[in-house]
Amino acid sequence: MKLHLPPRVSPKQFQSAMTAFAGVVGKDWVMDSDADRDAYADTYAPGSTEEWPASAAVAPATVDEVRAIVRLANEHKVPLWPVARGKNLGYGTAAPRMEGTVVMDLGRMNKVLELDSTLAYCVVEPGVGFYDLYDKIQREKAPLWLSVPGNAWGSVLGNALEHGIGYTSYGLHARNLCGVEAVLPDGDLLRTGMGAMKNNPAFHLFPMSYGPTWDLAFSQSNIGIVTKAGVWLQPAPETSLEIVWDIPKVEDIGWVIDTITPLKISGLIDQNVFIPSWLGKMVLKGQRKDFWDKPSAIPDWRVDELLKEHKLGYWQVALRLYGEEPVVKARAEVVKAAMKRNLAAAPQENWWRQGDPIGQYDTTMGVPSAVPLQMSDWIGGRGAHMGFSPVVPATGKHVLDQMARSRKIIADFDVDFYASFTIGGRFANNVNMLMYDRDNAEEVAKMRKLFDALIVETAKAGYAEYRTHLGWMDPVMETFDFNNHALRRFDEKVKSALDPNGIIAPGKQGVWPAVYADKRGSAYKGGQ
Amino acid sequence: MKRIVIVAALVAMGAAAYAAPPAGGPPPMPPYMLRSLAPEGDRLKPGRDGKTVFEAQCGYCHLVGGMGTNLLTKQQMMAGNPPEQGLLANRQDLTRDYVKAVVRMGKGAMPQQTKVDLTDAELDAVAAYLGKAG
Repeated sequence: MKLHLPPRVSPKQFQSAMTAFAGVVGKDWVMDSDADRDAYADTYAPGSTEEWPASAAVAPATVDEVRAIVRLANEHKVPLWPVARGKNLGYGTAAPRMEGTVVMDLGRMNKVLELDSTLAYCVVEPGVGFYDLYDKIQREKAPLWLSVPGNAWGSVLGNALEHGIGYTSYGLHARNLCGVEAVLPDGDLLRTGMGAMKNNPAFHLFPMSYGPTWDLAFSQSNIGIVTKAGVWLQPAPETSLEIVWDIPKVEDIGWVIDTITPLKISGLIDQNVFIPSWLGKMVLKGQRKDFWDKPSAIPDWRVDELLKEHKLGYWQVALRLYGEEPVVKARAEVVKAAMKRNLAAAPQENWWRQGDPIGQYDTTMGVPSAVPLQMSDWIGGRGAHMGFSPVVPATGKHVLDQMARSRKIIADFDVDFYASFTIGGRFANNVNMLMYDRDNAEEVAKMRKLFDALIVETAKAGYAEYRTHLGWMDPVMETFDFNNHALRRFDEKVKSALDPNGIIAPGKQGVWPAVYADKRGSAYKGGQ
Repeated sequence: MKRIVIVAALVAMGAAAYAAPPAGGPPPMPPYMLRSLAPEGDRLKPGRDGKTVFEAQCGYCHLVGGMGTNLLTKQQMMAGNPPEQGLLANRQDLTRDYVKAVVRMGKGAMPQQTKVDLTDAELDAVAAYLGKAG
């Protein structure tokens, strides 16, 4: 990719910034060739990667190097886009929101600094991936489990900071963060919570600060660069029971949600319950053309045939309970009785006990896997995906209402409907997966228009997304409209005060520093 | 249809290699593959251990049961080759330049890899390890 300079930075200024960065990290870790820029492009870009072009990448190895780079970036007025491992697939990968921003790749900071089995937590740097932490736990035979997202190739901290979700009792990953160390936009270094005191052993144990609590202010944020954080982990349970129901019809999702949510809120179920539709299973069985060979959306009659042929329900609930066997058994009886009120068929039950092997794809037991990315192959070509991910109250009424709306819009665009709901407590995350071939320009254009329509229509109904791709960060922020966008006005007041040069991640989540305010919406070519 | 049969056969074979399937039940999924630790020393210096680097950095997807292995096994079987060819370490037909190009530029479902993922020195070592066709 050719060089896109940051706004108002001359080639000479840019080059002197690169030289200055190289003085800190060494020239090998300043990556500014055309090939390097391609390496940091959005691998699933819906359209040209040059809409979100990095000018270079810099990879510090220590906190001191991060601080030095931030100070130099201020001096040279060159903005930085920090990424942990740069695997935010479906949301922009490692690419920056604003053209010419330098990716700060923290992948070299990959140490597990603490692993505490007694109090069940770890302290990690941003470059530590789910696989790295899992391997470390296995090697040390620590009685701890992870919570992993669908694609676990990425960073533990990066995923938590982006509000990623997993499918265990610790599935709300941002909630597991406790005690953050962050480099501020002026290069200062902050520790939150009890870590604000030197050598306080409760740094990663007590989740609040004395006074305002800032930990999550560094999530989906551009007011600092997190250089380490505590992450609470699940103690390995004695047993676990997976109970699997195939749910026959699409509209059954209403009673399923109304059955599971109260048990989740009461604490009887402590897992984040993931409920994917049939297409989630199908994408692992072959390619789309094996099942439907036309470009039009798979029609309902063919869906019905496929469900019969492959003995699938429209939805599948694979609920997992964890703990001592008598407790798990008692909980299972309550859950089964509740489900039986609407579904006579007995569920499949899979017990696991300490010492039993754990399968490679058991994400509900915290095993990292990248296999869900196989769905890229469903469409063929350079397959890619984007997730439209609104949050809805976890009641059947809200979920059915949201699903009917998305389903109709997606059908109007003649695109396959692939939805999942994850019950996280009082809310459900609804992910509508849109799969496309990056090299099919017509299809990409259609997906972009569809994405625009989903955001607008969903917002009209009063629901918003929890996370989105770079190209829609501004439009989604626009939907948070209470009191003339009071949230964005506050975010930007804070941003501009802390970061007058707009050095850290300008435009992240639609929050722009005053110095780049004219860039709002600039790269977004909605519906084209 | 041929593809579906192949995928089913592939899942059964992959699992059968690691555990005896229970009578009558579906085959168990393969166990988690613990990756090698990345070799110590300067990641920028030539002479890295290609096999170890491959297992540590490419093992997310290219060990038994991984995302890359699953897709490549399917492709190899469609081409009439044995399923073992889905594991890159078993391939005899890869060249060093091809390995380097795919790693840096990505291919199909595989995203491109940065120099932080794999330095040039590490990529040279991995290409020498996998590039058995020269």
